[in-house]
Amino acid sequence: MTKRLLEAKQVTAAYHTPDGREVRAVDNVSVFVNEGEILGCAGESGCGKSTLGNVLALTARPPLYPISGTLNIDGQVLELGQNNKVPRTWRGSVVSMLPQGALNSLSPTAKIRGLVVDVLKSHGTKLSKDECLDLARDRMKNLGLPTRALDSYPHQLSGGMKQRVITVISTLLNPRLLIADEPTSALDVSSQRALVEMLREMLNQDIMKGVIFITHDLPLLKTISDRVAIMYAGQIVEVANSEDIAERPRHPYSKALLNAVLAPEEDTLAKRVEGIKGSPPSLAKPPSGCRFHPRCGLAMDICTQVMPRAQGNELQFAKCHWSQQHPHEPIRIEDVLRRNDEIEAPVLIKKEA
Amino acid sequence: MRFSVRFYVAAGLVVLVLLAALLGPFLIGVDPNTSIGGLYDKPGVHPGFGGILGTDNEGQSVMSNLLYGTRTSLLVGLIAGIVASAIGLVIGLIAGYAGGLVEEILMGLTNIMLAIPSIVIVILLSVSLPQRNIFTLALVIGITSWPWTARAVRAQATSVRTREHIEVAKMSGANFWSILVWDVLPYLLSYVVMAFVLQVASAILTESSLSMLGLGPSNIVSIGMMLNWALAWGSIRVGAWWAFIPPTLMLTLIAFSLFLLQSSLDELFNPRLRRGKKVKAGVVTPDQDDEFLPEAGSAAGPAALMEAAVVDRTREEARP
Amino acid sequence: MGLGRYLLRKALWYIAALFVALLLNFLLPRLIPGNPVDALVGKLAQGGAGSDQLQTIYEHYVKEFGLDKPMWEQFLVYLQNTFTGNLGTSFMQYPASVNKLIGDALPWSLAIQLPAVIIGWLVGNLLGAVAAFKGGWFDRGAFVGSLFLSSMPYYCLAILLLFGFAVWQPVFPQGRAYSIGLTPEFSMPFFMDAISYWWLPFWSLVLIFIGGQAVGMRSMAIYELGSDYVNYGRGLGMRDSQMVRYIFRNAMLPQITGLALSLGGLVGGALITELVFNYPGMGSLLFTAISANDYPVIQAITLIITVTVLVANFAVEVLYGLIDPRIRATQGGDKS
Repeated sequence: MTKRLLEAKQVTAAYHTPDGREVRAVDNVSVFVNEGEILGCAGESGCGKSTLGNVLALTARPPLYPISGTLNIDGQVLELGQNNKVPRTWRGSVVSMLPQGALNSLSPTAKIRGLVVDVLKSHGTKLSKDECLDLARDRMKNLGLPTRALDSYPHQLSGGMKQRVITVISTLLNPRLLIADEPTSALDVSSQRALVEMLREMLNQDIMKGVIFITHDLPLLKTISDRVAIMYAGQIVEVANSEDIAERPRHPYSKALLNAVLAPEEDTLAKRVEGIKGSPPSLAKPPSGCRFHPRCGLAMDICTQVMPRAQGNELQFAKCHWSQQHPHEPIRIEDVLRRNDEIEAPVLIKKEA
Repeated sequence: MRFSVRFYVAAGLVVLVLLAALLGPFLIGVDPNTSIGGLYDKPGVHPGFGGILGTDNEGQSVMSNLLYGTRTSLLVGLIAGIVASAIGLVIGLIAGYAGGLVEEILMGLTNIMLAIPSIVIVILLSVSLPQRNIFTLALVIGITSWPWTARAVRAQATSVRTREHIEVAKMSGANFWSILVWDVLPYLLSYVVMAFVLQVASAILTESSLSMLGLGPSNIVSIGMMLNWALAWGSIRVGAWWAFIPPTLMLTLIAFSLFLLQSSLDELFNPRLRRGKKVKAGVVTPDQDDEFLPEAGSAAGPAALMEAAVVDRTREEARP
Repeated sequence: MGLGRYLLRKALWYIAALFVALLLNFLLPRLIPGNPVDALVGKLAQGGAGSDQLQTIYEHYVKEFGLDKPMWEQFLVYLQNTFTGNLGTSFMQYPASVNKLIGDALPWSLAIQLPAVIIGWLVGNLLGAVAAFKGGWFDRGAFVGSLFLSSMPYYCLAILLLFGFAVWQPVFPQGRAYSIGLTPEFSMPFFMDAISYWWLPFWSLVLIFIGGQAVGMRSMAIYELGSDYVNYGRGLGMRDSQMVRYIFRNAMLPQITGLALSLGGLVGGALITELVFNYPGMGSLLFTAISANDYPVIQAITLIITVTVLVANFAVEVLYGLIDPRIRATQGGDKS
């Protein structure tokens, strides 16, 4: 029996727009991660996967506000709420984030070693400066990274190296859970593989106990993660073992997403989900019932009114009325895309412009 | 488009100044060049609109001088702004779009001109002018202040150069100039308008500086000339505040309203043109292509205000 | 290696700029129809100077400028004179050398400008940074105030200050740099006297300089506040004080260049501020030189201003290259 690492229950988080409205980018989402597990998280851009990552990494900041939900990370419990303070030292030690390294995640004028020392010091380490650096050096050696990177400025490192160095820094404090938000999206294929192997190795070395890996890169997700959660319009519509989801998706959206041309570059929403026309609904005014029903070829009357319940257990489920009624029937892509002709195309063109 | 409060305030002030300059001279009915009284008569001594701000060192109406002077200053500012923007636009566009050696040469020239303080060249040119009227002065100011417009335009044009629709235009056989005018220029227009506003503001200030140094236009009143007379005739020392406070405030008002207008225009135009990341590349990292320092934080370098406004907007987007 | 190349490249550009400045300085006054010396001699003749004396003066200038030689040779003469530190002879106060006039005026200009630059830069950046961090009404007030100040011409504030604090409420003495009857000397009484005259010109420069710097620093700091590394640092649970250090360091870099560039504006503005206060610096000297068509003095002043600004800018580039690690790398060959 594997131990549960993360129990995030009924997490809701919203952006406050300038005109005073509330956009629920994460709506009543529950996520569970077991020890030693990598949970992948995928979906179109704007589906709320990065927002979920921010909330779980405890880094939500205005205009994003966590509204409700409970986090239990390896026994440490936190009630989410607009006014509930997150203990600062939880970040980095209980749960840590791994950002995309191609962004300016490192201050351009500070050497890596400076950041290493600062991170450890801000968590009240009793280690001296040299001991801090020794710790980082050991860690890098174990993971097969050149230790001279410590004495470099960020711009002196290649993209792949920068990403791996950031990974080491993110896990310096042995966080129990690591939230990786698109860490590979700016890397070439070999750097991607190196990073993925490193994450696996770190799990094996027990540096961290679990990873949530957010990406739009589905093939990569299949190779790296144990389970995959598919998000749509602020909700998780399906969670399954990565084998299962590739071969036997139980939600039409998962099917359509996997069927789409798996373009490696981001921002080409149209290409990525080629096949499903239309764009994800506005989260300010989500559709009634199943949020996917306006684009779904399998939609039935009930779908427009009743939000489907999760079928399965908390580690593997799908939320779909059709699947519920057809438990053993595989979803056929032609059926899902049946409504393409009805949905007006201009939405896509607008997205591209 | 949503206009900000800042925009309305700025536009209101600018309109106020424009009205004063355009209608004032017709309404006042007092010739700025004739004496209506003695040396520094107090406000109200002379009846009517013309006497409302008293008289200056020659017994002329300060109010009349102020209105005519504002008109002159705005005219100088406009002409100089047009000249500077036109030169800067052409050089920046060609450099940014053509690239290569042309760009190197043009930007080298621009950067050299940027490094030499423009007040120096303006002084030297004005000193050498056989006669100084508002057109020659405006011309002098215009041809010394184009470099930073050129640089700003080049930066924008470079970013446009690589866009897809330019490729399409090229493939469809459009020639260099037609692409420049029809495909590149439209993207820069809002930028050029903002740069123009700043050019006008700084030209007006430069004209005043020149006038105070004794290099102002002859035979015509400008705000700078009023200040020049006020200083030369010791109005401050005798406490004749009506002779120097009005032009001082008018000059400040013009400059402030134009700067404010620019920063609110930036807010308005930019969301469509540039997104956060792009702004970042231009502002924070040192611009490696430039031979000289990027302009920043200078009261005399209005480009700094543009940058300031841009970054300001970035924040407002980030946390509404 | 990278840094060396960077500095060499910059140095070459600044030398080119200097050359252009020298050329303009030399050429522009010579574009005046006729030649300035003829004009001068004509003026002196009206004033009733004897013909022998005129002849001497005329020959002196012809020799000094090399007016009997072709243009390019005149330029070489000009270059030679300039580089040997000989700025020529004043028209207006013949036979006083320009060097002497400048030597008398320059210290006064430096006395108000240098402190204004240094203090204004420090205070302005501090104010801008605090405004950015604090936000709210303090930020709004500081921003609009700074924007207003920075769009105000230096001399406008000077006029207002002079009127307000020397005429209306006579807290400080009016104009000049020291009381009539005193001669400049290094003594306590003279210093105390001079400093009472120094305050107003100083304030009129420093306030506006603060405004400009604060506007720039505020935007930089705000920009850095929203950057990725701040988010990441927060995600790693770093202390706010540590984040502020990172932010400050990055926001500071562009402000260093801001310092150099605002120098040009400040020097120009200070010229007229001196006029307002009748302060015996370069501005006042320039004013009298312009009104007397004293070309050698005008040229010397414009040249000194240019050289000062160029040198200051270059010094800043060197400093920048030393403290910004990115420059060393990007200039070191691979320009990605």
